[in-house]
Amino acid sequence: MTDTNEAAEARPKARSAVTTREQQWQVYKNIDLMAIPLIVLLFAGIFSFHFALTVGDWDYWVDWRDRRWWPLVTPLSLLVLPAVFGYLLWTKLRLPLAASVALLSFALAAWVSRVMNFEIFAGFPLNMVSPSTFIGLGLILDCTLMLTRSFFVTGLFGAFFFAVLIYPINWPLMAPFRVPVEYNGTLVTVADLMGYEYVRTAIPEYVRIIEQSTLRTFGEAVTPLTAVFAGFLAILMYYFWTWVGALASRAVWIKRIF
Amino acid sequence: MKKYLVAFILLIQAAAIPDLAFAHGERAQQAGLRMRTVHWFDTAVSTTKLNVNDTVVVSGSFVPSVNWPEHMAGPDGTAFLNIGVPGPTFVRVDSRVNGMPMIRSTRFYKGQTYQYSITLKARTPGRYHVHPVLSVKDTGPVIGPGFWVEVGGSQADFQNTVKTMTGETIDLETYGMGNIAFWSLLWFAVGLVWFIYWLTKCPIIIPRYRRVAELGDKADDIITPTDKKVAATLLAVTLSLIGFGYFWAQDEYPITTPLQTGIVHLPEIDVSADREVDVTVADARYRIPGRSFELTLDVNNRSGKDVKLGNLTVANVRFVDPSVIDIKPADSHDLVASGGLRVEGGPIKAGESARIKVFAEDALWETYRLTSLIYDPDSRFGAMLYFYADDGARDYVEVGGSMLPVFM
Repeated sequence: MTDTNEAAEARPKARSAVTTREQQWQVYKNIDLMAIPLIVLLFAGIFSFHFALTVGDWDYWVDWRDRRWWPLVTPLSLLVLPAVFGYLLWTKLRLPLAASVALLSFALAAWVSRVMNFEIFAGFPLNMVSPSTFIGLGLILDCTLMLTRSFFVTGLFGAFFFAVLIYPINWPLMAPFRVPVEYNGTLVTVADLMGYEYVRTAIPEYVRIIEQSTLRTFGEAVTPLTAVFAGFLAILMYYFWTWVGALASRAVWIKRIF
Repeated sequence: MKKYLVAFILLIQAAAIPDLAFAHGERAQQAGLRMRTVHWFDTAVSTTKLNVNDTVVVSGSFVPSVNWPEHMAGPDGTAFLNIGVPGPTFVRVDSRVNGMPMIRSTRFYKGQTYQYSITLKARTPGRYHVHPVLSVKDTGPVIGPGFWVEVGGSQADFQNTVKTMTGETIDLETYGMGNIAFWSLLWFAVGLVWFIYWLTKCPIIIPRYRRVAELGDKADDIITPTDKKVAATLLAVTLSLIGFGYFWAQDEYPITTPLQTGIVHLPEIDVSADREVDVTVADARYRIPGRSFELTLDVNNRSGKDVKLGNLTVANVRFVDPSVIDIKPADSHDLVASGGLRVEGGPIKAGESARIKVFAEDALWETYRLTSLIYDPDSRFGAMLYFYADDGARDYVEVGGSMLPVFM
């Protein structure tokens, strides 16, 4: 026996601080207590950044949410993180929470940002810059996954309705701002008028992308057509980002690093 | 030690309390861009002191330059008459170009004269530098001359009501906020029900992770019938709420229209009486050591009156010959070089042509960063000349072309 081994034997053996089942349960609870708020903050941060880059002004201003591009761009952007984290939380923990918690966290962050940055700092009225609501869409995705336990069916129905219902779920918030107003002989909506009156020097009228496209086959049915189109794209987006979540959950890179 | 502590506190204070920016960095843009895009003139504000809820009118004229840089999108594509104020410190209650309301974008043609007015209602107390701005698609903002305007009173008194076409009078400051708050809070609550349901099962991370790993392909067994019932109920509630909200809003606001946009076409105005002088640039040089811009011009006076050059405006800087026209700066930041213009060879007789030599000399070339013109890739200038008759009649004409720097 070497000197090193003798020294090791002479030391008192390390004992776990957790000796009973109750203590172990308490440790698990403490982990939850620490991890869940961090996850919420992480979701809020990542989602806010991601949304600002991909949707940005489209959702910041009440006069940008048109009926052709806003309902198309927004759900496709919103689906990314719920799909990626949805795979992780479902396959590793069987928790159907990614979409709803991500969107809850994001809503919280969006409200803080709109009140602090847009209302208090920049001085815009809150009704002009208040966030849209998406939490119900997250619930549709999570509950579908819970009930079907299938990413395929969740994509087919959950993601489809996630995109299709983005306009109806926000209509109670948006409808008042679509009421018509006459401005010097020109028809505008309340939202258009607010965008004009509350000066944004860096955002001239023409930078808004209002109904610019050639999808006019179905006459005035702009929103339903866009919604169904967004729904089909959302199915593909959901599958793609779920696959990305599957790749990420292998944690190959982490193993390589360590 | 005490003095170091005081110095440290002052340093921290200086860093922590930023100076608020009340102006718009109008010197920041390239000299060539400022010279050759839009010529603003007769810019005026109806008042420089007002209270919250009072209005101020910013008015004047502009001519999009015929020397507009080729590498930049022109105003004849899409452009918007804007106002440069620090955010919604004012609300824009009206804006017009050639009498046409300007809530939408339009096209401005190079060389034409446009008369504009922008009516602003004061919303936030403070002192602001107010500029007319022409926002040009794919080019950006082109800033006009600025004036300091001081707003007193209290923002709490600010009112902004409008009557809708459905007959309702609404306050734009708070309109629809009750709706937004109610539906946002409702969805928060529904979302929290789902989240809290799962939180009641805590601890959920490690035990579930281990259990799912143990169960392998049968991991779905971890899901309880209650989980499914809660999910089904919540899904039904969610879909019902979406449907209810939609139909409630349809019922509450039966008349709605889509967001409006489009291009407005402007009527032309007749300014032929103000444009009876033609000018050709024979030579243009900028003498760097003397900060002196020297122009040799061939002037043809088609009007029936003798005229003298009294004002040369370059990028909103007015070089003025006080013997011809008396222009005083409106405030400390008004860019007027009184006595900065010298003309050799005037006046130009009625119906005659003459060659004149013009010197525009002032430190404003330097302070307003116009000397950087010599670093532009095409070394071209643009300027507006104003000729005056003895009875006060005014003619204006744009000049532009190559400019040679004189280094020594």
